[in-house]
Amino acid sequence: MVFLEVEMAWNVVILPEQLDANGLLLHKAIILRLMDDIANRKASKEHGYYVAVTTLNSIGEGKVRELSGDVLFPVTFSCITQKPAKGEILVGTVDKILKQGVFLKSGPISSIFLSEKMMRDYKYVGGENPMFLNDKHAKLEKDTMVRFKVLGLKWLESDREFQILATLAGDFLGSL
Amino acid sequence: MSGEEEENAAELKIGEGERCLISTFSFAKFLKAKCLMNCEVARILDHKYDQLQQTSDDPTNQISQVFEKSMQYVKRFSRYKNPDAVRQVREVLSRYKLAEFELCVLGNLCPETVEEAIAIVPSIKSKGRMLEDEAIEKMLHDLSLIKKFE
Repeated sequence: MVFLEVEMAWNVVILPEQLDANGLLLHKAIILRLMDDIANRKASKEHGYYVAVTTLNSIGEGKVRELSGDVLFPVTFSCITQKPAKGEILVGTVDKILKQGVFLKSGPISSIFLSEKMMRDYKYVGGENPMFLNDKHAKLEKDTMVRFKVLGLKWLESDREFQILATLAGDFLGSL
Repeated sequence: MSGEEEENAAELKIGEGERCLISTFSFAKFLKAKCLMNCEVARILDHKYDQLQQTSDDPTNQISQVFEKSMQYVKRFSRYKNPDAVRQVREVLSRYKLAEFELCVLGNLCPETVEEAIAIVPSIKSKGRMLEDEAIEKMLHDLSLIKKFE
């Protein structure tokens, strides 16, 4: 999983009561508000998942919003992001096992589906502790680490996250 | 050959997956973004976590789910833990004229054989890269030495 450090721009809204003559307190309020905003935004189609704000690079001139009295500060900051790409090779862990395939999770991405049809020689073995087994006795059960390839992905605007289809077709893919 | 046909022919030369990776890669370049390996992200997030604990009145509120999941992930999947080793990995890999994205994939997955490295990052073997099998082998050997002496 390759993370990116990207510089981006944002507008931070500060309430009138947080405007302090002490520049340092205002600075702190802007940082906290920015981190809050980015955490709530979670992810975007353009940048992928927002993992963490690393540095606040600049704070522009504040503009007062007439009706509420809030002050809007344009800021630029650096953020660590993670955007999955089609064709990328990722490592994840098995989350859930179904007859039709397995659900994996990998870092911030929580819905990755690996269909039984995409698992080459792995076969479903039911029972109390269901798993997938192949003829070389490699196992896929809960919490197994798996190396897989991203076959396709979809951005879900309502959940603000990516949905990924995985495949094991390729060399050096499978359980680790 | 018409322009359109030429374009199709060019597309056929590289595999589907590879083409998409190239697009992420140019996306990173376009945003002037820096690519980071799992072990580097682990160090940054660790530091950030400590900072949050100290500065915020209510630290649990400031830590997002994405942050938490990413932190768990990079800690579990980092091959190198020691800060010096993390620096050395980047240093060693940057000697081989790799693109940022390729560098990170190799540093993350630590392939053991030349075949595995090519399967993971097919572009290192594409035309005009001058990366011979021996060079790739030496690179993997250097990486395994860092791991051994960590």
